[in-house]
Amino acid sequence: MNKVMLASGVALMLSMGAAHTALAQEKILTISVYALAQDEYKKIVYAPFEEKCGCKLVVETGNSVERIAKMDANKANPVVDMAVVSMADALSAARAGLIDKIDTSKITSYDKLYDIAKDPNGDGMSIGYTFYATSIAYRSDKMKIESWADLLKPEYAAHIAWPNVTTNQGPPSLYMLGQALGKDTPDLAAPIEAVGAAKDDIVTFYEKSSQLVQLMQQEEIWAAPIGRFTWAPFSKLDMPIAWATPKEGQTGGMNVMIVTKNSKNRDLALQFMDFWLSADVQSKLAEALIDSPSNSQAKVSEAAAKNLTYGDETAKSLKLIPSAVSLDNRAGWLKSWNEKVGQ
Amino acid sequence: MFQNRAEALALALPAALFAAAVFIAPVVILLSDGFRAPGGGWTISAYTEFFSSSLNQAVFLRTLKLGALVTIVAAVIGYAAAFAIVSLEPGKKGKVTGLIVLPLMISPVARTYAWIVILGRTGIVNQAFQALGLSEAPLRILFSETAIFIGLLQLFLPLMIISLISALENMPKDAIPAARVLGANWFQVFWKVILPLTKEGVVIGGTLVFTGCLTAYITPAILGGSKVLMLETLLYQQVTVSNNFVAASVIALILIVMSFAANILLKRVATARNKTRSA
Amino acid sequence: MMARNLFIPITLGLVIAFLIGPFLIIVAASFSGGETLAFPPQGFSLRWIAKVFTVESFRDSFFMSLFLAVGGTLVALILGIPASYALSRYKLPGAETIRTIVSAPIIVPGIIVGLSLLRYIVVPFQVGITLALFLAHTALILPYAVRVVSASLGNLRSDIEEAAVLLGSSRLGAFFRVVLPNIRGGIMSAFILGFVTSFNQVPVSLFLSGPGVRTLPVDMIAYMEIVFDPSVAALSALLAFMSIGIVFLAERFLGFSRYV
Repeated sequence: MNKVMLASGVALMLSMGAAHTALAQEKILTISVYALAQDEYKKIVYAPFEEKCGCKLVVETGNSVERIAKMDANKANPVVDMAVVSMADALSAARAGLIDKIDTSKITSYDKLYDIAKDPNGDGMSIGYTFYATSIAYRSDKMKIESWADLLKPEYAAHIAWPNVTTNQGPPSLYMLGQALGKDTPDLAAPIEAVGAAKDDIVTFYEKSSQLVQLMQQEEIWAAPIGRFTWAPFSKLDMPIAWATPKEGQTGGMNVMIVTKNSKNRDLALQFMDFWLSADVQSKLAEALIDSPSNSQAKVSEAAAKNLTYGDETAKSLKLIPSAVSLDNRAGWLKSWNEKVGQ
Repeated sequence: MFQNRAEALALALPAALFAAAVFIAPVVILLSDGFRAPGGGWTISAYTEFFSSSLNQAVFLRTLKLGALVTIVAAVIGYAAAFAIVSLEPGKKGKVTGLIVLPLMISPVARTYAWIVILGRTGIVNQAFQALGLSEAPLRILFSETAIFIGLLQLFLPLMIISLISALENMPKDAIPAARVLGANWFQVFWKVILPLTKEGVVIGGTLVFTGCLTAYITPAILGGSKVLMLETLLYQQVTVSNNFVAASVIALILIVMSFAANILLKRVATARNKTRSA
Repeated sequence: MMARNLFIPITLGLVIAFLIGPFLIIVAASFSGGETLAFPPQGFSLRWIAKVFTVESFRDSFFMSLFLAVGGTLVALILGIPASYALSRYKLPGAETIRTIVSAPIIVPGIIVGLSLLRYIVVPFQVGITLALFLAHTALILPYAVRVVSASLGNLRSDIEEAAVLLGSSRLGAFFRVVLPNIRGGIMSAFILGFVTSFNQVPVSLFLSGPGVRTLPVDMIAYMEIVFDPSVAALSALLAFMSIGIVFLAERFLGFSRYV
């Protein structure tokens, strides 16, 4: 028995070693992305691109902040060639000297992108590939949501989940709550105070939006602010769930592409970005209800458009927090959140 | 006992050097980060700063409280269960022990998620409570200390039971009847006879359970979330969200010190009993 | 005596229900026809179990975890068996220190282990993530290997091998011919314990993941961050049955529970 185990262990180690040497022969592009819908991305983006370039894609997944932290740790010897992160994290990576300016002449569809996607941080270091609205998913049979402040009503608060301030949806939701309260200072003091006052009632301050579907299904919650990109599974639940259009409007976010400083595969990375931003790929991603296109030439069916955040008008109407505001206040938000809500 | 020192060292050193190089050295460097002053030199300001925050104090006390509570409850249930198992006939004993060990084989990720279903407002616990008339409205258990307590207890109870089974099996068979004949009640039998004779089991089990509670990440993360932070989840937040490696190092040392302290304390309690007995 | 008769089944019934209940829920959820984890399950289907086999990252990370668990445990045993032998049979200078060093990985929170390896081994020495994971898992299994093998050696009378040595066998020969066959069960138990510990390990591996390299439990968490469907339950149930199978065989042939 021991011999068998030993043999299988050795075989495994050998096969792993072999796999690594095989990889070393090819051109490799290492990308770092959100873990979202990897099977579909593989079909629509990665596999066709690998075929086109004759190279191999290695994909790292995780949330935006974690992956930036890892890029920072590997700064001297970058592992990742290109990454997609949130707008604010792109700015933080830029300030930390982790990324370079993007040579937009290599991106053929650059001119076709919506204006807000071209250079969202104004430093030439990021390009938006998708944007999304953030609003409230709620049980229309249990409650009525007309304002962001409605969530904190005493009769509702015990049935809602609110995004933690550390998530991508956290600050935008607080920002809209601030607007509803009529006190929208960049330090988000008033909305954090308001959430803090209701903290014992609120079911949870969620960090992973996927959990919300489960909580919604078992009626632990009736409502939560979410990004539109997580809407699809809610609509599949056998319950009356609606997407709120609060009078203060919707907020949202944009995800952007960045290239790592000192990356050895810059050309390949730009080719990949060019491919991903093409109208064809963007249309397919939209049809699969994964990403709302930032390429204005992307063709989207009506059915898909209904589930996504789609079109120039919508893009312009979203109340986004500027990256610099978000970055400069992040530590302060976390501090006051921990004081008012965290304990 | 063999006396050849060189031979003994040759046998033991590879393991020790391995653990020291890949484990102790990096961890010690990380821990030392918590004492480094920004301009060079050493300071404990990171620690005073950590404990000056009321959030951190609350998290620290909660971690200590839940760890102690889980350990005590696990010991109480563990003794009852271990007694019951030891008194089974040999064939059944193996099977029941197998069932007790079984949860250890299952990914803690999956086990923890199961509790979300069980403890929810429409979950079976609440359904049972309402059917029995124990509560009118559904209780809110998820995302509370209670949920973390239940999750941790389920995670680590098997370790306590197994430690106690072997301790009880090694106890002289006639110790309990003898004490009973001498007129001791069950409480006295437990306190004066069983506990001293099984102290090693309870020290090992207790240390495993308490340390397990301190180092568990998944359970507090999923069942407590950011609403009910524990030191371990706070540490992860400090690293991934705030990039604050100094705070992470501080929390790490606190956790390690707590583990050692618990081990020493348990040994003390167990031997103190022992002394009164022999006195 | 009546009370005593009821005490045993009631206590065991409650304890086992508490310990096994969540597992049953996971198994039931694997066969669910619905979109989320639910109990009682909504309908019956095998689609979540089928889905497990179509998620490519699960396959890669499964083999990664298998490699770490098998390889790490073997190396830990190769290091741990001689150390246990030295600790239990020799008058060893600094025995307590060595014991503490070797068992330290149990006390330190896994997240710290992962983080410190990332910061002070992976980054400065340009060590690959796979190797770092391997080192971390080996270090983590080592305490279990030493503990179980030591216990097993403790149960074996040392005069047998001393007799063998007196009768002209070499020390090494005595170890391989007399000691090793007698602690075989302990070694297998250590192997299983190490395997299970490594295979289910999350916190250590949390920071030690890189492009294309991730252990199965971390991959499961990452998957659940995005999709919360019963396929993770199905995967957990399948893995649990795999572990149970191994333990069952080990118990059957070696009396595993005597050593743990």
